[in-house]
Amino acid sequence: MSLFNLTYKKIKLKNGLEVIFYKDSSLPIAAVNIWYKVGSANERKGKTGLAHLFEHMMFQGSENVPKEMHFKYIQEAGGILNGSTSFDRTNYYEKLPSNAIEIPLWLESDRMGFLLNALDEEKLENQKSVVINERLERYDNQPYGLAWEIIVKNLFPENHPYSWPTIGFKEDIESFTLEDVKNFFKSFYSPSNATLVVAGDINETEALNLIEKYFGEIPSYETPDPPAAVDFQLSENIFIEHMDNVQLPRLYLAFPTVKSYEPKDAEFEILSDILSGSKNSRLNKRLVFDEQIAQDVSAFQFSGKYGGMFMIISTAKPGVEISELKKKIFEELYSISLNGVSDKELIKTRNGIKSNFIASMQNLDNIADHLNHYNFYLNEPNSFEWDINRYMSVEKENIKDICNELLNKNYLELNIIPKGI
Amino acid sequence: MNSLRTKPEIKNELKFQLEDIFVKEIPNGLKIFYLQKDKLPLIRLNFVIEAGSKFDSLSLPGLARLTAAMIDEGAGGLSSLELSDEFDLLGTDFKISAENDFIVLSLQSLTENIERSLELLSLVILKPDFPETEFEREKKKLLVHIIQLKDDPERIADQIFDKVIYQEHYYSLPVSGYYDSVEKITLNDIKNFYANSFKADRSFIAAAGNFTAEEFYSLIGKFFKDFTQSDSNLTLSDKLTPTDKKIFVYNKPESVQTEIRVGFVSGKRNIKDFFQKQLLNTIFGGQFNSRLNSNLRERNGFTYGINSQFSYNKDSGHFLISTSVSTENTFAAIKEISNELDKLKYGVTTEELTFAKTSHTRRFPLNFETYRQLTTNLSALAIQNLPLNYFNTYLKNLNAVTIDEVNAEAEKLSQADMKIILVGNKDSFADEFLKNGYELVEVDEKGNKKI
Repeated sequence: MSLFNLTYKKIKLKNGLEVIFYKDSSLPIAAVNIWYKVGSANERKGKTGLAHLFEHMMFQGSENVPKEMHFKYIQEAGGILNGSTSFDRTNYYEKLPSNAIEIPLWLESDRMGFLLNALDEEKLENQKSVVINERLERYDNQPYGLAWEIIVKNLFPENHPYSWPTIGFKEDIESFTLEDVKNFFKSFYSPSNATLVVAGDINETEALNLIEKYFGEIPSYETPDPPAAVDFQLSENIFIEHMDNVQLPRLYLAFPTVKSYEPKDAEFEILSDILSGSKNSRLNKRLVFDEQIAQDVSAFQFSGKYGGMFMIISTAKPGVEISELKKKIFEELYSISLNGVSDKELIKTRNGIKSNFIASMQNLDNIADHLNHYNFYLNEPNSFEWDINRYMSVEKENIKDICNELLNKNYLELNIIPKGI
Repeated sequence: MNSLRTKPEIKNELKFQLEDIFVKEIPNGLKIFYLQKDKLPLIRLNFVIEAGSKFDSLSLPGLARLTAAMIDEGAGGLSSLELSDEFDLLGTDFKISAENDFIVLSLQSLTENIERSLELLSLVILKPDFPETEFEREKKKLLVHIIQLKDDPERIADQIFDKVIYQEHYYSLPVSGYYDSVEKITLNDIKNFYANSFKADRSFIAAAGNFTAEEFYSLIGKFFKDFTQSDSNLTLSDKLTPTDKKIFVYNKPESVQTEIRVGFVSGKRNIKDFFQKQLLNTIFGGQFNSRLNSNLRERNGFTYGINSQFSYNKDSGHFLISTSVSTENTFAAIKEISNELDKLKYGVTTEELTFAKTSHTRRFPLNFETYRQLTTNLSALAIQNLPLNYFNTYLKNLNAVTIDEVNAEAEKLSQADMKIILVGNKDSFADEFLKNGYELVEVDEKGNKKI
């Protein structure tokens, strides 16, 4: 399908900055999207949350951009913008009318090349406080909000790059100094450690000239080696119970699996959809629809550059024991590993995936981010079609096998229990 | 300074014109708002039925919501699971939601499957079966959802806010209803609610896709021609008696943050002051560089973010400031919010207004990129009964607003009788409020005063 075959151009500036250009003139808008190849996986214990805090500092102005002006200039140009940090990478993006494309290029280049002298204690203390509030709002003060942190900490081996949460631990966030922040920049924010995507209704030559003009002069430097992450399995099951201020118990099962785009990654995703992706999915039908012992159930494959896990999460109805949910969940897994799945189940999942891929082509910023995503993980930005085929080539037999494999693994079980029960 | 490193200028402002919106009713009064968009082989539509919780809220809160949950639990001879499978096999995304004013059924389908998708949608809307077994399950699910409200400080704060500002008005109660009201709902209630409110003349379709408008119109005619019209007009009384109290607290002792809501009933959307309010809010709390966010986040670090908005239901609307702050900063945050409100009496600066106008003007084309944005915009047009040329006169009307008009709205906002809702660990902040002469009214999760 030609819809998924994108024509792009990829070049490298002398300083090592990788640039991907993609033209789409369907609307007079443009998108800029930068991925820095650094995320929380590049941190170390005791300094967790630094990559994310640093993302905040990137919005605090640079040598030629006063504090708060980064947002203001983009919004004044009619644009939207933000950034995000994950285990593997940090991204920054803008989308705006195409005639204003020079503004985000100038802004991104200024913070890539001229950030250090603009950093100060006051900005740092302010953003530490903002990030601690972010942590409180999104995790500590949320029902079940600490589950993810507990799981990654206990599932991944000690010192594995995924064994702490991206937001970081509170005491680590509180401890960061200006020196930490500056050293982080000097380690990871080299142009040679970044890829810039420019997409939309712009002339290619003009765009490349502007990129050369603004980014060409930024010197690059050496960046540390990526973290080491060995493949692992659990030597025995892990059981954790955590009390929380919630009304209902919730069960989490986490199985170590494969990294992004490794063989079986797509199989696990499809299995998760067959288990919980629709009303008539296996677990939803059994637990929520027929037996009504669960309020909800979901399964997903989480995978990144350094590791992956398969998760099943279910909230018990009042009066139902977690052990009952667990028993039924395993019965359903056994049933798939024994009898496989039906044609209909596989077709449903495939068609859903195909529709989602088409719908994801609606936003220019989403396309720009995807080009960066594929470039980062697969070294080929135009991987949309390859990626769809990865799912379409999974057969019923593969799902049966993968389910069997899951059942032969040790896993982590987390029970979140209401306080006062 | 290196000349390279000075801010580039934007040359040649872009012009953007939205193509004409197609509007036409099929004979039973079902109105269609449509925009053709050919970029992808997709059609998206919102089927909007004026059957929201405002019609149940004063009698049996939760009824509209439960009706929405039941509407696709079997229809036209297909069971609940069969229906769901049919949509899934097409790769069609089908969702139902209930709001204060409306029940909305939204559908996103590949163009090649639109005919079957619409056929299924028509079964759901015209021929629901409402089976008893599915009813018991859906009711229990909603009841458990209500139990879970106690976990979520944001939901509690929103629910209390609505109650405090709207009091006895039909917008005061939660769409989900209360445990005791939902418990009382019978399958017959659902059937009656459906029979009275699912009517062609109380519905509209907002859609966008790579189909001509005529093709889309004829498909809707084909599948929805049997949608009946209502035989009586439902009227609601919308009296509003404000409370004289100011600060309402829900005590959640284990909280590490306080959820804050500040606001008042500012009235329904009005063509005369809509743009003034929008520009004012952009300056005050509508975006990252707003006065509120610059103060509470970027200057004081009290919060991850704070924003404000004028929010419009069909028959009324409110102004709302929303944030969460670490517990120890609760009083300081309220003080800063009050200061910012008070400062509005001095008006806004020309620079602020220019920024707001420029930002909205240049951003305008970005509002029409996705199929979802198009259907959302068309829905707003229909709900608020806006003129068909609304989007093409938008920039002219926005830019015609004067600073005096914005300042008049700013002055009103500074004097409005704002109510304050705090959800958090009361003991840790109550003294500070009391010491400074404030009275705190403790409420339960329904927003009723605790005795």
